[in-house]
Amino acid sequence: MSQLLQYLADGLLIGVVYGIAAMGLTLIFGVMSVINLAHGPIIALGMFGVYLCFTVLGLNPFIALILVAALGLLLGLIIYIVAVHRVLNAPHLSSLLATFSVNMIIIGIGTTIWSTSFRNVDYSLGTLQAAGISLPATRVAAALIALLVTGVLYWFLYRTRPGKNIRAVANNRTAAELMGIPSTRVLALSFGIGTMLAAIAGGLIGTILPFTILSGGVYELKSFVIVVLGGLGNPLGALVGGLILGLIEGVIPAFTSVGWVPVFEFVLFVLLLLLRPQGLFGAKK
Amino acid sequence: MAVLEIHDVASGYGELQILWGASLSLEQGQLTTLVGSNGAGKTTLLRAIVGQLKPWQGKVLFQDEDVSKLPPYAKAEMGLIMVPEGRQLFTDMTVRENLEMGATPARARAHAAQNLEKVFTLFPRLKERATQRAGTMSGGEQQMLAVARGIMSEPVVLMIDELSLGLAPVLTLDLFQSLRKLRREGLTILLVEQNVRMALKVSDYAYVLSEGKVELHGPSHEVENNEEVRRAYLGI
Repeated sequence: MSQLLQYLADGLLIGVVYGIAAMGLTLIFGVMSVINLAHGPIIALGMFGVYLCFTVLGLNPFIALILVAALGLLLGLIIYIVAVHRVLNAPHLSSLLATFSVNMIIIGIGTTIWSTSFRNVDYSLGTLQAAGISLPATRVAAALIALLVTGVLYWFLYRTRPGKNIRAVANNRTAAELMGIPSTRVLALSFGIGTMLAAIAGGLIGTILPFTILSGGVYELKSFVIVVLGGLGNPLGALVGGLILGLIEGVIPAFTSVGWVPVFEFVLFVLLLLLRPQGLFGAKK
Repeated sequence: MAVLEIHDVASGYGELQILWGASLSLEQGQLTTLVGSNGAGKTTLLRAIVGQLKPWQGKVLFQDEDVSKLPPYAKAEMGLIMVPEGRQLFTDMTVRENLEMGATPARARAHAAQNLEKVFTLFPRLKERATQRAGTMSGGEQQMLAVARGIMSEPVVLMIDELSLGLAPVLTLDLFQSLRKLRREGLTILLVEQNVRMALKVSDYAYVLSEGKVELHGPSHEVENNEEVRRAYLGI
């Protein structure tokens, strides 16, 4: 019993972190209908960002996250301006190819600099014991930070002017322009925030699990499953989707080999697409 | 004084030319209407004025400044506001949020609280529905919100495309009366309307657009009595 609780807790903690990675993906799609195929490598860059701050600058990984978030936002703005903006009104294939090119560029450069050998952030805050389960404090901290990020994102989208601008542009870009909202700037900001969320998620995962520059791909795929679970374009759905996926990941190893996890995840993915393509919580559109 | 002048504007979609040199001029504080049959180019002209379409030739002068090449958001900032056809509300946002988004231009933001008071007085229904999602309201309420959102932008010129489209006659009458009220308060309005009879009744000056050109214009009561207009648009 306590063993199962342990698996559940592990799953929930990592699930929240998956949730914010997926929020980044779903925010970008919700605002500009672009599926960002560079999502995975940006998650990996977030991992490396925290790793480098920790090993080279000697920063606490959770403090380093602030720097990683800022750089993630900046990188997102650059990617939007260079690669995304020009294909925004082109057929979907163009934006897929454009973001896939960014994906290949990041992976190419990353592989050259860091090779593909595993790294890990050797940082521990000890272990928390409660109700017969023990949790590494870094995991708990990562989950709490992810929840905080979710809260801040919601506050930003619903309570601040730039956030409302993003929702307005996502809802009706033409009308937003007629109100005096420069939609290009808003789109760039949205892409920046989506990228920032991916980088933060990567940074958090990097403090928990070992990684390479190629690790992002796995989390990108998880993000897709989560986004479909929660409903495309629905950030809060992404958080819940993340929790569900985390639970599946946590609990399956209790019954069978870990190798089955992706099989279950993607069977779920296909079933959802067939039976409830709008997601569990009904997407916005 | 003319606050908005359109000189010989041609425009269209891709290869398809709709406007063939349309000219009009809006007097400060007047309610001007632009009427014409379907496909005459009324909406296209508004789009060219606001910058959703680039004028192929000709000029758009707003307060004596050439704004022909400015994008819609820059014109909105200056006070040239359009309430588009089909309302184009932020359907996933609340009524209050829609109105807040209207108050985006810097001038409008400074007076947002007063303007909110003003539109709630003009359309009390919207006050009752302030926290409701815009997309869940009836067509008439949505049209009220579209106009109210335009007023929140504190327009120098308010252009309204198809105010009455798809609305019950009673609601249409209400909305036209609201326009009269706004006009009395000194707002300059350009109204595009398929209900020609009503548009001529409510307006000061009228332009009749036909095949992408202004066919005739004059004070609305004269246009109303024009033989050709009576035959072609009023069915008399």
